[in-house]
Amino acid sequence: MKNCIAIFGLFFVWNNLKAQEFKADFSYKYIYANQWDKAIQTYNFSRPFITEKQPLIIHGLNASVSYIFKSQKKIKHGINLSYSYFRSSSDNENLVNVLNLHFLNLGYLLHYENAERLKGFYSDLIISATSSGLFRNVNGEPFVYDESKSKALGIGGNISLKAGYQLMIKGKTYLSPFIAIDYTPYFYSPNTEAVINQTKGLTSKNWTPILTTQVGLTFHIKNIE
Amino acid sequence: MKQSKMNRRHFIKQSTLLSIGGLLIPSIFLSACRKETLFEDINYDGKVLIIGAGAAGLYAAYILKSKGINFQILEASPTYGGRLGKLTNFANFPIDLGAQWLHGKNSILADLIQKSNTKISLDNSEVKYWFNNQLINSLPQSIEIFEGDGLPDISYKDYAIQKGLGNEYKFIVENIAGDQGAVASRLSVLYNNIEEENWNSGDDDFKFQETYFDLIDNQIASQVKDKITQNTIVSKIDYSQTNIVVTDSNNNTYTADKLIITVPITVLKTNDIQFIPALPSEKTVAFSKIGMDAGMKVFMKFSNKFFDQNIIGGSICAAYADDSVGKAVDDNVLLAFVMGEQAEYLTSLGNDTAISTALLQELDTMYNGQATTSFIASHVQNWTTNPFIKGAYSYSTVGMGNARQIAAQSVNDKLFFAGEAMNVNGHHQTVQGAVETGYREVINVLNSIKK
Repeated sequence: MKNCIAIFGLFFVWNNLKAQEFKADFSYKYIYANQWDKAIQTYNFSRPFITEKQPLIIHGLNASVSYIFKSQKKIKHGINLSYSYFRSSSDNENLVNVLNLHFLNLGYLLHYENAERLKGFYSDLIISATSSGLFRNVNGEPFVYDESKSKALGIGGNISLKAGYQLMIKGKTYLSPFIAIDYTPYFYSPNTEAVINQTKGLTSKNWTPILTTQVGLTFHIKNIE
Repeated sequence: MKQSKMNRRHFIKQSTLLSIGGLLIPSIFLSACRKETLFEDINYDGKVLIIGAGAAGLYAAYILKSKGINFQILEASPTYGGRLGKLTNFANFPIDLGAQWLHGKNSILADLIQKSNTKISLDNSEVKYWFNNQLINSLPQSIEIFEGDGLPDISYKDYAIQKGLGNEYKFIVENIAGDQGAVASRLSVLYNNIEEENWNSGDDDFKFQETYFDLIDNQIASQVKDKITQNTIVSKIDYSQTNIVVTDSNNNTYTADKLIITVPITVLKTNDIQFIPALPSEKTVAFSKIGMDAGMKVFMKFSNKFFDQNIIGGSICAAYADDSVGKAVDDNVLLAFVMGEQAEYLTSLGNDTAISTALLQELDTMYNGQATTSFIASHVQNWTTNPFIKGAYSYSTVGMGNARQIAAQSVNDKLFFAGEAMNVNGHHQTVQGAVETGYREVINVLNSIKK
């Protein structure tokens, strides 16, 4: 394990030296996925016995890292890896139901920055493959039936547009507030209704479009020669 | 220059704030617009009539009540619960006369069980097979042949023969079909498998420490009992005018704007209810393609427990089960779960004594005469002779196609069909399946109002 961490650390440092820019983001994320809303709305509608309704999946946190390759062009390219987490929890007597939703995106990034005309401003266009895992916890324990965890895995393609403004902290390091909007036209997650409402195809579809927005901060390390 | 710098700073500050605000404000606004439940603001002053106070009808009523919608339930029998029932004072634990296993833990009723702190336990009782006139622990040949790809649309009986399960497996196969509420010669391998593939509640079976009936009675029926009109046998439904007029066997009439019909498929198949105008022919054809065979439960009490927990493969009854499994206290009660042709045969014997005598004779053969010598009493619950049920539960017949989907469709946005047979998601035959159709049809009713 120690060797793995050391190798990863060396790889990280070496890559960072080779990179034009390395970025790490932390942000608040808002999500809208109408078919998942429908599944939760059906859950609440069909269970008058719960007094505290299950909240829709809306608010989450996102962390991502980007690696931009060295280039003299105004539009540079790189790779981006991001992780998001959303949670919906309802607390009823004997039935504390929690939905944990995780997203992992791996994408190709186009970075635009014009130091002369728009000093400090930059924008990123990211096209990524996205995957998700939705898990249900009941009364603090993973919900297990037939000896396996209740889960819904999903996959889709995502396009993201991000804009930020960089403020120099010291030397090569910058901090930038940013905003981003992401759109997934088709996200396939066939078991989602089964995890949320314990039914299949009753009120929602196997897929959903997803729209998210983000507001956050990016930490930049730049190797400008 | 100074002025220009200030302007730029000002511009940056303004644009950053505007951008953040531009995303956050719509997000907050959108969050407020997104409702937590379906039909959150519905305001409907029409009346919904529900025919049948089984699990589907009771649950539909429960949802309607939660939405503040006016409803009434018409029930043919002097009780409620449909194919759920409870017998007390027979054993030292309460007995389920109808549905008694919770199939899988991933269901709305499992949530209700959790919420109400209802005690259930996994039924992992052991199985013995009556095979070639002896009780054995496992069969010489695998019977796992009815699942997979490329299955034909032929009966279980024919497919078993095709796959080399000879006559000695006849009642083993009858038990498998009987579990689906069917005779092996009528149950489709193809369509049963298609419907089973939709099943997503889990494969484990659970038993109630009290009864299934208690769960539905205490948690659901108790909420809507005052709206049940019992002993009301619906004979005619006239939906030709704006209002629906329902007539019962005593010529009393009831009017409604929407009607949820939850009667068993057998009642629809045998035209016990006259529809004006007649239902579309494709619908009546669909009803005829959904199977529902005879079924009964016979409870036999003995002075000692000479029997195994499950005995599969009898020629009079293909499935016996120790009814005390999962109960808080023990008693020597054996359940004969009789389905299909075996239930038809036992029904033909004419009376309860003859039925229990036939079963005792079979048990005597299996257990060297111990059944008759230790027999105390029996209780026969014959769902086939109940005029408002007429069988066990629905199953997939050979050539069924999408009959269940057609049968479940509403008619003219006025008539809505619920009940276990109308479950198109693989949960037919179960209480949770009936419950799902109950709230599904309330959703359909409310969608029709929105139109």
